[in-house]
Amino acid sequence: MLVKDCMTRHPIMIAPETLANEAQQIMTTNRVRHLPVVGDGKRLKGLVTAKSFALKSDSISSLNVWEISRRLANLRVKDVMVKKIDILTASANMTVERAAVMLNEARQSALVVLENPDIVVGILTEVDIMNALQLMLGLPTEGIRVTIRMPNRKGEFQKINDFLNDKDWCVMGIGTYPSPRVEGDFYDMVLKLPDTTIEEVREGLGKIEDHQIIDIRDVV
Amino acid sequence: MNMDKKFEQPVLKLEDVAITYKVRNGEIDAVQNVSFEIFKGESHGIVGESGCGKSTVAWAIVNFLGANGYVKSGSIKFQGQELVNKSDEELRRLRGDQIAMVYQDPMQALNPSLRLGDQMKEVLTVHRGMSESEAEDRCVDMLSRVYMPDPENVIKRFPHQISGGQQQRVVIAMALLNNPALLIMDEPTTALDVTVEAAVLDLIAELRRDFDTAIMYISHNLGVVARVCTQVGVMYAGEMVERAPVRDLYADPKHPYTQGLLRCVPKLGGDKASSQLYPIRGRVPPPNNRPSGCVYGPRCDYARQRCLDERPEVRQMPDGTSVRCHFAEEIDPAAWIPPEDIKLTPATEDVTKNEPILIIKDLKKYYDVAGSSLKDILGLGEKRKVKAVENASFEVPRGSTLGIVGESGCGKSTLVKTIIGLENATAGQAEFNVEDVTFDVTSSLSGRDKKLIQELQMVFQNPDSTMNPSYTVGQQIGRPMERFGTVPPDQIRSEVVRLLEAMRLGENYFDRLPRQLSGGEKQRVGIARALASRPELVLCDEPVSALDVSVQAAILNLLIEIQREFGTTLLFIAHDLSVVRFFSDFVAVMYLGQVMEFGPAEEIYQLPYHPYTEALLSAVPIPDPSVTQKRIRLEGNVPSAISPPSGCRFHTRCPRRKLMPDGGKKCETELPPWREFNNGHRIFCHLPKETLESFDPVISKAAEPAAD
Repeated sequence: MLVKDCMTRHPIMIAPETLANEAQQIMTTNRVRHLPVVGDGKRLKGLVTAKSFALKSDSISSLNVWEISRRLANLRVKDVMVKKIDILTASANMTVERAAVMLNEARQSALVVLENPDIVVGILTEVDIMNALQLMLGLPTEGIRVTIRMPNRKGEFQKINDFLNDKDWCVMGIGTYPSPRVEGDFYDMVLKLPDTTIEEVREGLGKIEDHQIIDIRDVV
Repeated sequence: MNMDKKFEQPVLKLEDVAITYKVRNGEIDAVQNVSFEIFKGESHGIVGESGCGKSTVAWAIVNFLGANGYVKSGSIKFQGQELVNKSDEELRRLRGDQIAMVYQDPMQALNPSLRLGDQMKEVLTVHRGMSESEAEDRCVDMLSRVYMPDPENVIKRFPHQISGGQQQRVVIAMALLNNPALLIMDEPTTALDVTVEAAVLDLIAELRRDFDTAIMYISHNLGVVARVCTQVGVMYAGEMVERAPVRDLYADPKHPYTQGLLRCVPKLGGDKASSQLYPIRGRVPPPNNRPSGCVYGPRCDYARQRCLDERPEVRQMPDGTSVRCHFAEEIDPAAWIPPEDIKLTPATEDVTKNEPILIIKDLKKYYDVAGSSLKDILGLGEKRKVKAVENASFEVPRGSTLGIVGESGCGKSTLVKTIIGLENATAGQAEFNVEDVTFDVTSSLSGRDKKLIQELQMVFQNPDSTMNPSYTVGQQIGRPMERFGTVPPDQIRSEVVRLLEAMRLGENYFDRLPRQLSGGEKQRVGIARALASRPELVLCDEPVSALDVSVQAAILNLLIEIQREFGTTLLFIAHDLSVVRFFSDFVAVMYLGQVMEFGPAEEIYQLPYHPYTEALLSAVPIPDPSVTQKRIRLEGNVPSAISPPSGCRFHTRCPRRKLMPDGGKKCETELPPWREFNNGHRIFCHLPKETLESFDPVISKAAEPAAD
């Protein structure tokens, strides 16, 4: 899955001249946490996040209460936004795992997706990545979710594949990862199988040599 | 991505919007209390007859209402931002960046004096400050995205050098260049031929998926909306009377107006008997004189006192449909019985076996083309001709109706004009009442026998341009009676009144001027005038295509009744295949001047088909989302009639040609034979009879979901 497949297209965007107040209102009514700031035909200028509205005590400590409210009322998006240089950006053709790494490393919650070279085409947030994970593991459809532990060597996946072929079963979602907290070199594989039962899966996949079912459940 | 809508905010949300135009003596409420929302990747159709406020809503969104129009109340929110009372500068930014519009006439959106590439690039260079070469690459990409053949060359051309369908593609590509969040399409395919329309509709559906754009799709055509939309709102007299997901709306319409509309359109899905039309009685109230109760009350079959007194509010039904009707739950459209006055009595006699009144034999009509080279000017060049009609042969029995269908430029009108004498035939014969009407090839219509002129009359598409604006209705209809002496002078008035009554117009129309009539009424006067001389054969050139569906249904029923009463023979040109099926006894399908298929109406719509008819049937938008159509799209454009393709004229675009041995070489060189089938059904094709019979049917009704 690539960024373009799971990003939010046509994100709500605002102009740098918009009042900060209004931006905050737009975020609340639309329940979004990030607003790309654009100018000159969707060119990225900055990003407004919830943090942007936090008052910085040093900037107002010398003001009296009237001056504070006036200052707040006249605050523009361009005064509070995260500047372009500090925004995490990605291209639409990046892989979703790479984007996840970027977010993780930078400890940020959103990536602005740009194309030729700085036009905003979408936004990818943690929520979108979680959605992608969900889809990859076949969550929206009903079925049996089984986790199989197998040794990390050639030919192990082939065994499962042969079995599925024999049974003529389909797979709605699939994911693998190195087995956590075990001794030795093992991999866990999560499979989502529709139109079957726990018993049938146990009966078949559980019998494969060197493989072990470590979790099985009937889920939506 | 499939996400739950409850967490998603609509791209566009209208709440209780009222739009008003200021006029000299007050204000006119064009639109009242319209609410709807469009989500990302959804296409929301707005249907309704002309003047119901569809386009006004679209204009209000982008603030194009003009100097005297304004949003009186309500809110229009685009991505959560209020658009009403927004500054011009901000709106301009939104329109450029986020909202795009596509109009009915692509030529309105294209500058005729600029090359297509230059006007497309302008969007990117001016708006985004992109460099010329980069912008050009992007334009070419986008043009190939909308399946424009040869995009590198197209950008060097001027708008008039490409066809209408291609122009519309350019406009759509241009609208998408900025990747808008909302695309407003106002009747984008209405001016296009059905085969081109089908391709553009496919394109719209595909782009919606790929770009996740929210589309607001305005159309008067219920079939088109059924094909491209996911949600539909029905508007009537400035109000949205019903809003539902597309399947629900067509399968189970709740509002009496929606039910009435669906009864007005002929459907190709069912059998011929089910395509009986029932027009809605009365007419749409003008915006300055709307009833105080339900706007549809005066025309509604179910109206009660409460409907006339109290304006219904929009109500949410249990299945999610919203409807503006007091009694929506109680109304069962299946139990509706057509009122006596709009019911059509079934035909009592079979007219198809009558002796022929019109026999056309190898009729040809060529036009000379003036060349522009020096040789041509000196008269030395070879004379070139537009072969508008080629070897047309058929017979029309007395009292029956022949429908002629085909795309624009296929020679339908020329054929009819040649028969009536507005054009001289180049060769061939047209025998009317055993008398050849093409005998006077050198003389014009004025040289014809008066009796012949009287017996052949014509109804035109646009009644406006055929009526003298300073003559009253009575004078216009009385004129042919006077001229041909069919009625004694002292009885002309009573005869005109009788005709007006037959047209359901009444005597009070006698002294009205054309400008005091609505479009449908004008067409009725046009028909009355054609019938005034008691002709035997009436040629109708697209008589209903400019009219709203409810008016169209009334006119079609009227024509059928008149035909039964007077025994008139009708030649009926139309581009709408569903109308022709409902209306005709025989159908001729034309392509590029050549009749491709001829036969009884029912046979044309069933197997076997000519490959061209098959493509046409697959392209017709059917107002029923449960009907599935085989997807056959013709590639390329209709070739020029100056140098039509050799052999079979359809071979350059024929999707079935590959079924011929050696890839259809024969189609390129030899004229096809007429393949004869049952009941005089003929197909002009090289494919053997067995192959033609082996096609799958184009239109099939999806199996009904099993009852619970």
